[in-house]
Amino acid sequence: MSNPYLPDITTIKRVKPETYDTTTFTLQFDEPKAREQFRYRPGQFVEVSVFGAGEAPFCIASSSHGRDDFDITVRKLGRVTQALHQLDAGAQVGVRGPLGNWFPFEEVGGKHVLFVVGGLGLAPLRPQIQDVYRQRDKFASVTVLYGARTPEDLIYRDELEQWQHLEGMKCLLTVDVATDGWTGNVGVVGSLLPNVKWDVSQGVAFVCGPPIMINFVVRDLVGMGFAEDAIISTLERHMRCGIGKCNHCIHGDKYICLDGPVFTCLQMKAMMELEP
Amino acid sequence: MSAYLLPWDRLEELVGRLLKAAEVIAPRRLESGDVFYGAIASPAEVAWDYRSAVEPLKRFLLPQREPILRFSTNGKLQVEPIYDEKDRVFLGVRSCDVSGVGVLDAMFGGDIEDPYYMARRRRATFIALTCQEPDEHCFCVCGDGGPFLKKGYDQQWTALGEGMLVEVGSEKGQALADSHSDLLSQAEPSHIGERLRLAKEAETRFGDFHSYIAAAMRKLSMAEVPEEVWEKGADHCVECGGCTFLCPTCSCFTVTDRREGDVVLRERHWDACMYSCYSREASGHNPRATRAQRVRGRFFHKLSLQWAQRNGRHGCVGCGRCVATCEAWGHMAAVSEAIRRGWESE
Repeated sequence: MSNPYLPDITTIKRVKPETYDTTTFTLQFDEPKAREQFRYRPGQFVEVSVFGAGEAPFCIASSSHGRDDFDITVRKLGRVTQALHQLDAGAQVGVRGPLGNWFPFEEVGGKHVLFVVGGLGLAPLRPQIQDVYRQRDKFASVTVLYGARTPEDLIYRDELEQWQHLEGMKCLLTVDVATDGWTGNVGVVGSLLPNVKWDVSQGVAFVCGPPIMINFVVRDLVGMGFAEDAIISTLERHMRCGIGKCNHCIHGDKYICLDGPVFTCLQMKAMMELEP
Repeated sequence: MSAYLLPWDRLEELVGRLLKAAEVIAPRRLESGDVFYGAIASPAEVAWDYRSAVEPLKRFLLPQREPILRFSTNGKLQVEPIYDEKDRVFLGVRSCDVSGVGVLDAMFGGDIEDPYYMARRRRATFIALTCQEPDEHCFCVCGDGGPFLKKGYDQQWTALGEGMLVEVGSEKGQALADSHSDLLSQAEPSHIGERLRLAKEAETRFGDFHSYIAAAMRKLSMAEVPEEVWEKGADHCVECGGCTFLCPTCSCFTVTDRREGDVVLRERHWDACMYSCYSREASGHNPRATRAQRVRGRFFHKLSLQWAQRNGRHGCVGCGRCVATCEAWGHMAAVSEAIRRGWESE
């Protein structure tokens, strides 16, 4: 009997602190068969079990390209994430997944691709950015606008440094509040939007971040002329089961875990109408 | 499907045989006079004359707390599932409760099967007992849950003058009839006639009590319910969770891990979408922070056409338990009435 609640065992390969409260864990399935079967697309998530602490959902934060392990980037916040932060490389955790739907890729081919990202929202979008950039000849252009509260809150700093100097990608950073040594932009991430010079009718925008940031950015994007079905985001809920059984993540007529977590702005609006 | 007559003087013999083969869950009258479904030890324990049971059948298929995984760390992290694989016969259970199991089947079956529910479900046999006298709060006629069933049972029994009419509704029910054919005779046309008359009469006994589910379904599905209904109505709710725990179709669960010696048991528990912590996230963000949001979410899930389409039917079978238990306003009859008419202060 197949059991969708039964995790496979993974081993933590690397532990990389991103900020004072956020860490990237690289996980690899112990069983070669599980490694092989774990085929995912950017936007999907996993449920991670920490022995004695419980299980919690995390987006997959790395592209599958050329790797047989994967990253999750975790803020120390609740019971499971605190227990996870106690673990070192070599420790084992259970993983179920991949779960949920994914970001459109082939469907947005030929378009100008814009990522508007706040804080930890870069975790779910990082694999999409990596995949889009690697196949950038399939898109008109690639732009990443990333903002965090302070410079200390920026995650994937090595990669951000690279992205800012890549051919074929425009990557701009900003912080809400500058601290010592920050010489870059100061302001909310929406303040970077005037850098978008292309025809927005030919664009698609991936937006991820705290709910308030999403609200403002979506309003700005619509104001710029983006169609509501060309604005794509990913929702978070406390998904206990991840397979549409426990009902915790229901919003309107959708399961965030099964129908999402990726939705267009148009779909989200319909959900908000049913459940404001 | 075929129909048989089980003469009254052979009923005990048949129940006795069922007891030898499986755990038999049947209505039992406690000293208090309340009737609960529970495992019986002898045929005499079955309260054949009951109207409704305090609780539905849910806990026998989805226990209030059940261990689902066992984790151990003996050098290496290991995990194994825990299944309950007991044969159970549900004997003399009410139509609404069998209909409720149908809703749970849609929830836990489907494309992604819940192996814990399905392990119990596949080993369960349902012998429904048709209702001829509704209880005080019953409205199965509004909820499409009874008083007689058209499907969903393995056997459906109706008390006639001469004995029990046994209608077969599934292969499992037929196999059961075949293996006790020495106790059964083919039903006569007169028996079928009596059953049809009883079914008709039963439907006339529901009196003035209604639940306006159709109107509520339409307004909910079209997002036409004024906020006032939720806000004012929710003021009355004390968040006891009774409506959800007693509902035969409510199946929300949460999952926790508990240490027991060297192992960790992952358990799932009933949860209630009426509780403030239900959808709260570790960050503190709560998408259903207000009680009004939770009441709306609950009734949208129960009654909207969107979810009815997804689950194969709406989520109320009209058992009346939420009406019986609610201290305030949050039960199906009151909420569907408020949705239909708009909020009217008392």
